[in-house]
Amino acid sequence: MFNIMSITLKGIFRDRVFHGILVVAFILPLIPVISTLSMRQVTELSITLSLSLISFILLLLAVFLGGTALWKDIERRYTYSVLSLPITRSSYLLGRFFGNALFMLITATLLGCVAAVVVWLVASGSPPDRQVVWMNFFLAVFFDAMKYILLVAVAVLFSTVSSSFFLPIFGTISAFLVGSSSQQVYDYVNSQPAQTLSLLTRKTASSLYYVLPNFSAFDLKVNAIYGLPLSLKGLFLTVVYGLVYGGIVLALSSVIFAKKEMK
Amino acid sequence: MKGLNQLNKGLLRSYLSLVLLGLCYLLLIVPFTGYMHSKPFIEKLGHLPRVEVFQFVAADQKQLVSASLVMKVMMYFGGLMEQNQVKYKLPPDYPAMSRIIHGSVKLDPYNMDAYYLAQAFLVWDIGAYKIANDLLAYGMKYRTWDWYLPFFAGFNSAYFLKDYESAAKYYQMAADLSGQPMFSTLAGRYMHKSGQTVLALSYLSAMEKSEKNKAIKKSYSIRLQALQAVRTIEVARDSYLEATGRQPASVEELARSGHLVKIPADPYGGKFFFEVEGRVSTTSEFTFGKPGK
Amino acid sequence: MNAIEITNLSKTYKGKKFSTVEALKNLNLTVGQGEIFGFLGPNGAGKSTTIKALVGLIAPTAGSATVMGVDISSHEARRHVGYLPENPAFYDYLTAEEYLAFVGKVFHLPESLLREQSERVLKLLELWEARKRPIRGYSKGMVQRVGLAQVLIHDPDVYILDEPMSGLDPVGRALVKDIMLELKARGKCVFFSTHITADVETVCDRVGIILKGELKSVEHVDKIMTEGVLGYNLRIRTRNQPELVERYVAKEDLEMVMQKLFTAGDEISLIEPSRKSLEDFFLDIVKGKIC
Repeated sequence: MFNIMSITLKGIFRDRVFHGILVVAFILPLIPVISTLSMRQVTELSITLSLSLISFILLLLAVFLGGTALWKDIERRYTYSVLSLPITRSSYLLGRFFGNALFMLITATLLGCVAAVVVWLVASGSPPDRQVVWMNFFLAVFFDAMKYILLVAVAVLFSTVSSSFFLPIFGTISAFLVGSSSQQVYDYVNSQPAQTLSLLTRKTASSLYYVLPNFSAFDLKVNAIYGLPLSLKGLFLTVVYGLVYGGIVLALSSVIFAKKEMK
Repeated sequence: MKGLNQLNKGLLRSYLSLVLLGLCYLLLIVPFTGYMHSKPFIEKLGHLPRVEVFQFVAADQKQLVSASLVMKVMMYFGGLMEQNQVKYKLPPDYPAMSRIIHGSVKLDPYNMDAYYLAQAFLVWDIGAYKIANDLLAYGMKYRTWDWYLPFFAGFNSAYFLKDYESAAKYYQMAADLSGQPMFSTLAGRYMHKSGQTVLALSYLSAMEKSEKNKAIKKSYSIRLQALQAVRTIEVARDSYLEATGRQPASVEELARSGHLVKIPADPYGGKFFFEVEGRVSTTSEFTFGKPGK
Repeated sequence: MNAIEITNLSKTYKGKKFSTVEALKNLNLTVGQGEIFGFLGPNGAGKSTTIKALVGLIAPTAGSATVMGVDISSHEARRHVGYLPENPAFYDYLTAEEYLAFVGKVFHLPESLLREQSERVLKLLELWEARKRPIRGYSKGMVQRVGLAQVLIHDPDVYILDEPMSGLDPVGRALVKDIMLELKARGKCVFFSTHITADVETVCDRVGIILKGELKSVEHVDKIMTEGVLGYNLRIRTRNQPELVERYVAKEDLEMVMQKLFTAGDEISLIEPSRKSLEDFFLDIVKGKIC
């Protein structure tokens, strides 16, 4: 598995994915300028923009790296030479997954540090009403990375189901959108005004909520931007949720992939 | 040799078409930019989808979308201001602005820019004091540390709504949050009618000084000019009252009697007059874009 | 212990619209250690299906197989196997050297042995000069040689090669044949598929002929060669004529003709067996003449 992981990581670097990220990351130094557009919360806006940009980059990585991780190997017939080695299908799958996950983590760390410098510069130029809570900032970046790693797992699951290019990519994007708003839908369905909806609709929405990934739990942007206190218990539960949900998704992918025929 | 010629010809053709297309672009870009620029502002603000749509599409970028919505309103508002410093070309679409601001705080209830901008135009420009205070109250549930929100709400309650009880409550909140005891005395002073203009002046000049955004600052300074004019007339009125023992019939009478050196101009383009109970008012109602002034 | 044992192996693919395709029907085959086995058959006969089942790329519908005594359903079976896919492709962003290192690590080769083996096989397959370049820039023949290198690097007991000669020039083909013979000499098992009979004739001990998913014949190449003798070409110098005369004699007539010549006192300067080639043998099977 570690062999697969290391060649996966090597592949990502050799394919110049990092160059692409750097191009997008060039927006980061522009943030101080854009932030001054804010009337009352220049530093807050700089944090918003930095975290949004990091999120966006990680989303692209999750969708494209995760969605094509298996597709590329099958399409280019690398699977024949790799899967015939004495490794199990699941260690290959996990190797691909963890290689991508590690790359996301490295990217998030680097971008997080650069963004921190940018925010620090802005904050020293126009001091915010409330001190920047750096702990929250870094936690927000870390949880963001975790969320997108979970999305990579979902993308991998889609790639095991279909060996086409489009299903994994679009499936992942929809999973992301739905997973980001599933909490809202759930809250709405269980609110007073929604009681007019049919019971079936409400039950369907609720059961989907339990099946679909809940990405909104990982979103700590608001806590980082406005320095709102974080609940330790909430963070702990979120981490455990991520691990368990990711584990289930990967286990399911392994089962499907083990049955896949390399014709 | 012939092959080389062929190749060169092909390349030449490519270059030629590139140059031609480049020229076309240059010809096109001027009218295109002109068209985009001349598009009515109302269209630029656009008809935005419902906030529920935003909530779905924004995914984990709610704060960014919220901030960009506020920016959109601000640019629109600022654009109107810069176009014409005395008068708006078109009456600003206040309902649309209000709708977008409300959508923006639904996405990010912590967005201070939204509350701030709303306070600026909802209160002063359209007199939607109640809406403004409801919005501020919504914000106070989230921005529990921020003294600006109760400070705004207190001012609105006292100055516009004449709800001194609420004003006192808000000012107390602002005082507690900011640690500046002066706020708690403000509400009391508003009860005296003559004190209103003075305190509005102090509120506005404080806001204007701390404002960095040009468009908003401009709107404050115009408002400040108008209130300064009102204050000048009020002082003249009071000295007239002291000297003659009766209220002046008109602003012009103050000028004629020498209590007012020069009738100050209303920066909103209206004319000052006395209301029945002696209050100074203006035909512009302190706003641009009012019909029939 | 046999190197490869295949018992009742079958594979059925689901085709379009609920139809099924029987790619492999009840295959039984054993290949011993120190044996070169050629798997011959036209395109789409089931050669690749058999091989992919052996290396775990597809799961057999029925039956079983072992490699060096380990059932193929376990990935451990592949620990003894060096597999060369048909028209292979390898992570092309890696260099040949890096790819070999990757394969070596998967097979748990110790670092020093890996380096030594890597150098040996790269030089053997004439990839030494190109070893630091990414595979992306290799020619088809070079990629094929990388495929052979990654088979040889971990020195397995069983070599399963799918069309090993394809994409190679005559020099490359000769090299592959030499390598096979050298492996056989070291007691290794080589199982390879091909549709070119000449490849089989020169190196194989035994040949299996597969047709439409069914194994039609398994023969020793030597035996095919002897049984395939149809007649003899004789070169005779008769007593009354000084020039040499060539004459073809059918297999069953040889004894009688020899007797006659002997009594006539003619001189036989050459007897050459005229035989059916492996190709003819193969074509006969394909056309259903032999079953």
